[in-house]
Amino acid sequence: MAEIILDKVSKSFGSVRVINEVSLTIQSGEFVVFLGPSGSGKSTLLRMIAGLETIDDGRLLIGGKESQTLPPGQRNVAMVFQNYALYPHMTVRDNMAFGLRNIKMAAPEVERRVQDAARMLEMDALLDRRPSELSGGQRQRVAIGRAIVKEPAAFLFDEPLSNLDAALRVRTRVELAELHQRMNSTMIYVTHDQTEAMTMSDRIVILNDCRIEQIGTPMEVYTRPASRFVAGFIGSPSMNFLKGSYKDGAMTLLDGSRIAARVAVPEADTYELGIRPEAVKVCEGEGEGDTKGQVKVVEHLGERTLVHVHLSDGSAIVAQDGGRSPVQPGDEVALRFDISELHLFDASGKAWHAE
Amino acid sequence: MTASSARQINLVGGIITLLTLIIAILWAFPIYWGIVSSLKPENEVVRPYIELWPETLTFEHYIFALTETQIGRWYINSIATAVGATILTISTSMLVGYALSQLRFPLRRPLYWLILASFMVPTQTLIINHFVLVANMGLLNTWAGIILPQLINPVVIIVYKQFFDQVPRDFREAAVMDNAGEFRILFKVYMPMNWGVTTALAIVTFIWSWNSFLWPFLAVTKTEMMTITVGITQVSDAFGVYYASQLAAAVLAGLPVALAYLLFQRRVTQAITLSAGIKG
Repeated sequence: MAEIILDKVSKSFGSVRVINEVSLTIQSGEFVVFLGPSGSGKSTLLRMIAGLETIDDGRLLIGGKESQTLPPGQRNVAMVFQNYALYPHMTVRDNMAFGLRNIKMAAPEVERRVQDAARMLEMDALLDRRPSELSGGQRQRVAIGRAIVKEPAAFLFDEPLSNLDAALRVRTRVELAELHQRMNSTMIYVTHDQTEAMTMSDRIVILNDCRIEQIGTPMEVYTRPASRFVAGFIGSPSMNFLKGSYKDGAMTLLDGSRIAARVAVPEADTYELGIRPEAVKVCEGEGEGDTKGQVKVVEHLGERTLVHVHLSDGSAIVAQDGGRSPVQPGDEVALRFDISELHLFDASGKAWHAE
Repeated sequence: MTASSARQINLVGGIITLLTLIIAILWAFPIYWGIVSSLKPENEVVRPYIELWPETLTFEHYIFALTETQIGRWYINSIATAVGATILTISTSMLVGYALSQLRFPLRRPLYWLILASFMVPTQTLIINHFVLVANMGLLNTWAGIILPQLINPVVIIVYKQFFDQVPRDFREAAVMDNAGEFRILFKVYMPMNWGVTTALAIVTFIWSWNSFLWPFLAVTKTEMMTITVGITQVSDAFGVYYASQLAAAVLAGLPVALAYLLFQRRVTQAITLSAGIKG
């Protein structure tokens, strides 16, 4: 268990800058998720911490020790790979013991650690099997076990659930969260799946275009996104964005409707209004609501219904209704915005939130 | 499928089978002829017409080859040099293949091109250089002298490089994270993962070495140091060549290779397929 500090680290592949002066402090025992779209640099950043990619500039401190020039094996971190990378010719026991034998650890200690990890992950019965004789979920456990036996300062996970089916992914997600609570170890987890990020992490680091967009708890990044990118990236279905201008404490949308917005922004500039589907309600009575439009698609999800509406200027918006919504495609509906959940974004993508 | 198109496919299949059979017979006939001739008395062998089966069946040439020549000694020489060449070729080529595939060092690519280019140079053109070198090293008429020039085997290096290239990078990275050095990565991860190709290459290298004639013929002048392929040429006396006895010795020389092939048929075929794309 150790604190990890990235101090203005940068990385280029040839002339292409892939990580640009990223600074980040991960507290000891914290579960941090690197989240971002493909090509955002999240895996590269993880691999830089692991030592699998060199750090061109900046410092990396693991447990207070300068580690940017240390070889991967000496950084005291363990990594779980996306494809597990279990050695196919070795048994589960040998896979887990390989790293310990490489540092010439005494055989009884190796065996003790392997047994402890196997017990913790409930795979005692699998120790003499080869990876080809295991299911996807079991391989996943072995990969985690291989990391646990090293008793590292931090665990690094590179999209470890992406090869599992949906049901197993949910179960393993919970198990990983439990494992973190039990071991109380520093964990860095890379994913492009926001559900994994939201459910497992203490803090999420959202990366885009080789730099950090926002660092915050799952609820912070959801309720107070720092930028339009974060607002659009987090949440499913994603946030609605409507163009308009802000004046006299109200946002005028392109269809002419005025939405009262208590947001402290310079007036009269062109803004984009952002609001999540759950903050847009379908009104029952005529004449109610902040704007109106025609229903194009209705998605019944059981406990809730997503209503896709086109406003009179053609802009699309998704509203949320109850599970037994009577709304039908083609209906004219009025929509009411929860103004406490409004966000405004300027041309540069910077966010302002409703007070 | 209509009846006429099915008939057409059957006809094409039949022609291909017939052609394959003819080629197989043409290829196998010299071997058959050699074995049959080795079982005939010498006067039957030199008859000016073809006899597909011996009039008189005799094993005298085999008895002669086994008792009157130094065939036992030649076998030992062949086994020692072929095994030595195989072990050394495989171990050095594996190291070179691994380095070319996995390590990043200056002049890596030019080195690879050099190895590739070495295919273009036939062994025969280098044989004088080899002879001078080995002679200067005082290794003529020794096992080491026979083995050394056989170690230059670009095919094995390139096959290894290709196989190591195909190992997913995750395994190497996992091993690096596991504190493994390059030798441990090679011997504990890459080699066991490519055990099949090592076996196949070892068998085929052994066969190449066992069958090699030109270099051992030049490097050895003493009868007791000859390999079996060279030793066959000694089965004669002042009165001339004894074809049947030479053929009996040749059959005995080919026996271990034939046995190896029968035992490891699948692996040998695999190795020949692997190297065929490269060796041409």
